Amino acid sequence: MSALAATQGEFIDALYSESPCAPGVAVYRRNMLANLGGALAATFPVVERLVGGAFFREAARRYVLAHPSRSGDLNEYGEGFAGFLESYPHARSLAYLPDVARLEWACHECYQAADGGALDLAALAAVAAEAYPRIRFSLHPAVRLVRSDHPVEAIWSANQGGRDGTPDRDAGADFALVRREQGSVRVRAIEEAEWRFLESLGAGATLEQASASIGEEFAARFLAEGLARLVRDGVIAGFAVAEEGA
Amino acid sequence: MASLQSPAPAAGIGLRAPHYAEVLARRPALALLEVHSENFFAAGGPALAWLESFRGLYPLSFHGVGLSLGSSEAPDAAHLAKLASLVERFEPALVSEHVCWSSASGRHSNDLLPLPYTEEALDNFVAHVDAVQERLGRPILVENVSSYMRFAHSTIPEGQFVAEVARRSGCGVLLDVNNIWVNSVNHGFDPGEFLAAIDPATVREIHLAGFEAQDSLLIDTHSREVTGDVWSLYRDAIGRMGPRPTLIEWDADIPALDVLLAEARKADAILDAARAAERAA
Repeated sequence: MSALAATQGEFIDALYSESPCAPGVAVYRRNMLANLGGALAATFPVVERLVGGAFFREAARRYVLAHPSRSGDLNEYGEGFAGFLESYPHARSLAYLPDVARLEWACHECYQAADGGALDLAALAAVAAEAYPRIRFSLHPAVRLVRSDHPVEAIWSANQGGRDGTPDRDAGADFALVRREQGSVRVRAIEEAEWRFLESLGAGATLEQASASIGEEFAARFLAEGLARLVRDGVIAGFAVAEEGA
Repeated sequence: MASLQSPAPAAGIGLRAPHYAEVLARRPALALLEVHSENFFAAGGPALAWLESFRGLYPLSFHGVGLSLGSSEAPDAAHLAKLASLVERFEPALVSEHVCWSSASGRHSNDLLPLPYTEEALDNFVAHVDAVQERLGRPILVENVSSYMRFAHSTIPEGQFVAEVARRSGCGVLLDVNNIWVNSVNHGFDPGEFLAAIDPATVREIHLAGFEAQDSLLIDTHSREVTGDVWSLYRDAIGRMGPRPTLIEWDADIPALDVLLAEARKADAILDAARAAERAA
């Protein structure tokens, strides 16, 4: 190993450590914890509000020490934070917290995702009726789907600016649709069947397969009304027609 | 296309999100808008849409903080690919990075860490600048950083190290006058000697910012107005090398845009005075 590589390896070891260090190195250790902790606070503001600043800073510090940053782009930092909170003993009483973090990471990804096009309605109108079941809709790259056994959409919404943190619902599962609208991230709770339908589309299912997964009655109602809204909102942004028998 | 022109030797500002809308609405006279490259590494979304709205209105400068040119390992290919595609898309007037390192064996500090100033570190740094310039198909600028410790085995004064990087790689120098001042206080050297080591012809841009004192160290926080000592050193630098595009950086406790613009106007006044002195001479 070169002398430079050895120096740098030791320095990084010292930054990601709690052992005593020289005052100069301590400045860099503080800076790093502040930078990476600040990145987590920027990505997980609702988690921070739920647990308070001091508790969050300590959790972030322990996360940083256990999960070093792997990229020179700070926007990539924090993907494992939800998983960390799941096993963080001091947050055990807040069962919903990891899923709130998952929802916030989905928002973070949504904000930076590619700009997809809009659905080509003229091309869709030209599809023969008998081929409808074989349509494979694709979701916009900025769409994320998050499900939780806890009412995380209600908790998330209650902790946005101007709200006092009191959720509309305090129990029950949530099925959240995360998307981008005019540069802002929107989170909406949707019906479980619609969520499963979108999840199927995201996994590459045809319209027939996705509809089968949510039950005939819901599918009929949804195809008549819900689908149009998903297209209008840009959630569905493209389509292809699968080969017959495929 | 305006973004392809070299910026005029006048003042610009580091453009941060809280000021996007106001800069676009007011269009203040500025020679340069500088952004952190990594803030636009997203595949899409609003940040890139904002950047599109500024191109053509101002010369742009992409200032990287995460490439870690001084690491013993080669620059991260994925990071460099994102930078290359951003540079290709926006054709900025300037592309810059730092004379520092950030990562080792896959772990990143996301901070600008000081190098040991040795022949080995110099060879390594020059090789990485060469590789980046080759990949981008254009010269970059490299900036001297603030530091809070020094390696006892350094053998080259920092100013000479920066000058030598530019001489050997053909890159330009982004001279951060605040960082020279901060280091001269932290490490007890004469900032004039640092300036004297730099070949004026290689300096393409100057940075100014504010620092804070913590314990016995000055910390380059970019959270304050430029101090009198730094303005004075800036006058010396401009006197030595002539007017250069000069950028005001402010990244923490970001003030009203007018505070930033007032700092830019101070730099402009010094640049104007230097031009008048040149004409009189």
